[in-house]
Amino acid sequence: MIGEYLENLVNLVDAYYLQIFVNIGIAIIMALGLNLVTGVTGQLSLGHAAFMSIGAFTGAILTIKLGMPFSLNLICSGLMAALCGVVIGFPILRLSGDYLAIATLGFAEILKVILLNLDITNRALGLSVPLPHTPIPLPIYVWLTVLLVLAAMVLIQNSRFGRALRAIREDEIAAETMGVNTTLYKIQAFAIGAFTAGLGGCLYAHFIAYINPSDFGFSKSVDILNMVVLGGLGSIPGSVLGATLLTTAPEFLRFMERYRMMVYGALLVFLMIFRPNGLLGGVSIRKLVCKALGIKPGPRKPWHRISTRKAGG
Amino acid sequence: MIKRISVLILIIFMVSMSVYGAAGTVKIGFMGALTGDVAMFGIPTLEGMKMAVEDVNKAGGVNGQKMVIVEADNRGDKPEAANIAQKFISRDRVAAIVGDPTTGITKVVAPICERNKVVLLSAGAVGTGVVELGQYIFRNTLLDSVAIPPLVDYFVNDVGYKKFAVVTSDNNDFSVSLTQIFKNALKGKKAQIVADEKIKDGDKDFSAQITNIKAKKPDIIFFSGYYTEGALLMKEARKQGLNVNMFGGDGLYSPTLISLGGKAVEGSMVYVGFFPENPSPETAKFIQAFKAKHNGKLPGLFETQGYDAIMMLAEAMKRAKSNDPKKFRDELAKIKDFKGVSGTITIQPNREPIKSPVYLLEIKDGAYKLKTKVDVKMKK
Repeated sequence: MIGEYLENLVNLVDAYYLQIFVNIGIAIIMALGLNLVTGVTGQLSLGHAAFMSIGAFTGAILTIKLGMPFSLNLICSGLMAALCGVVIGFPILRLSGDYLAIATLGFAEILKVILLNLDITNRALGLSVPLPHTPIPLPIYVWLTVLLVLAAMVLIQNSRFGRALRAIREDEIAAETMGVNTTLYKIQAFAIGAFTAGLGGCLYAHFIAYINPSDFGFSKSVDILNMVVLGGLGSIPGSVLGATLLTTAPEFLRFMERYRMMVYGALLVFLMIFRPNGLLGGVSIRKLVCKALGIKPGPRKPWHRISTRKAGG
Repeated sequence: MIKRISVLILIIFMVSMSVYGAAGTVKIGFMGALTGDVAMFGIPTLEGMKMAVEDVNKAGGVNGQKMVIVEADNRGDKPEAANIAQKFISRDRVAAIVGDPTTGITKVVAPICERNKVVLLSAGAVGTGVVELGQYIFRNTLLDSVAIPPLVDYFVNDVGYKKFAVVTSDNNDFSVSLTQIFKNALKGKKAQIVADEKIKDGDKDFSAQITNIKAKKPDIIFFSGYYTEGALLMKEARKQGLNVNMFGGDGLYSPTLISLGGKAVEGSMVYVGFFPENPSPETAKFIQAFKAKHNGKLPGLFETQGYDAIMMLAEAMKRAKSNDPKKFRDELAKIKDFKGVSGTITIQPNREPIKSPVYLLEIKDGAYKLKTKVDVKMKK
């Protein structure tokens, strides 16, 4: 009953717009996850798409082989990706900067080769994914996940944990001196980032209905990194904006036909020249809103303090 | 009140009429890449389609409507292809989509077309598991599963080869699937696979694989990958003094195979679905028209497949006397012995096409020469 009602609700939206909305939603989930790792914690990862592929293949296989209910499937995909994030995080998060970037890149390539050679992933032929087992339409699932991930990211960034992550980004040695267990925190951030990528991957697989290990290559990782950097490293509204812009730009620019991607590239270059910190890098949305309303930005709202105390134990 | 309702019904009727044929046109969507890595498949397909639409409209269109192509570039990107398919269906109200020339994107677009009951006719997808995706999904390509069995018959029975060496590029979906088909076709024949080697796309050194193959003394090497690796593989074979030839699918069909392989690929064989030498009357006419329009350029496989795709759709629409995909879909499924410019096409009950003939080419004096035409017989 509810499923039917929601289905009708979704069908009210123009199918073409709906398609783009869902693509935006998945991009936002991916960007927010990477933003926590690269933007907030400052660990440059070039292998985010690899976690997406883990989520995508886990989700697809669970639906195909077990016919698992989709919500459970989604969580399993996220957990699987997070598990891989922890396992891979232990050795490679001891590295930093360029070395870490290369190591994550290497991990992504290794994973791609593994997926290309497993029977369960149908090798290089890829998997056609059937419809998910759920009465709720997929677009609603995607946007519910977006909201949940968004809320989680806001809570994390404003918690003691989030501040510790930022301390690591600013100065790892100083953070360690202040008693922050940097390796542990980095691995936790990495695992959360991987978890969201797993969610995004699972949603992507069921939405696009056909996945192939080659879809989650280096260029996909760079696409996601682009969204985070363009929006502004460490900024949640920035990641949302970056993901939205970079997903819709190719559609907006469609009228230019074959010159489209050239213009797209030029836009990126100009943006980086004129806003090197990203569109919303270093911009506080709260202050902007207060300014627009003509109120002085007061002290932070009480729930921040509550969450701080809780996280601090 | 009754008047108001009847006006309302009239409006609804007019709106629904305009859905499939606004201003007397029937729209066909072109799905493919015009830029990016796979544009070399998309651009020629579109060229062929445009020629076909001209011919259809010159002959008066279909069911009194002119045919129009709606084009959009998908860059070979899957999410973007899904966006475009949705745009074609809900905005442009296309009656059918032709494309994508690659298997992967066809598999992304197919569920969307099936859901909206719009015909998808792929002019290029050769991988497995495409038409299984729905009742509205078709293709008009030469399938390896159709071409390989008669070719294996030819090699085993007519030429008398007994020992085959197989080389697969295991990070290439086309190669993995082709090897599977080849091995299945060889089952039950009086021949065996003596060596089964694996390489990767992008590899440069094949000495280990060739050493293994040489020890097994095969009659011929079957290589299912692409031309760059094919050329390097044969160079290594000649270097080690292994004097057998290579045979493979249209992944090897490129001038680069010859320019890169040189003397080493002399005698190598490839099979293709289209070759301009020794054409049928239909094909000869198309080649002439194409050359006249494109300053003497010869058409290739994708131009002919794009052309045939439009012609098949037009034929189905005429037979169904309707441009509504729900109606002409049934006629498209019944197409038999259709004399296309890329060969004779029959759609089987499972919607997989059978195409005949298969052209086996041999490299002689640095050029592809027609070795033989192998006819494909319809399975009873």
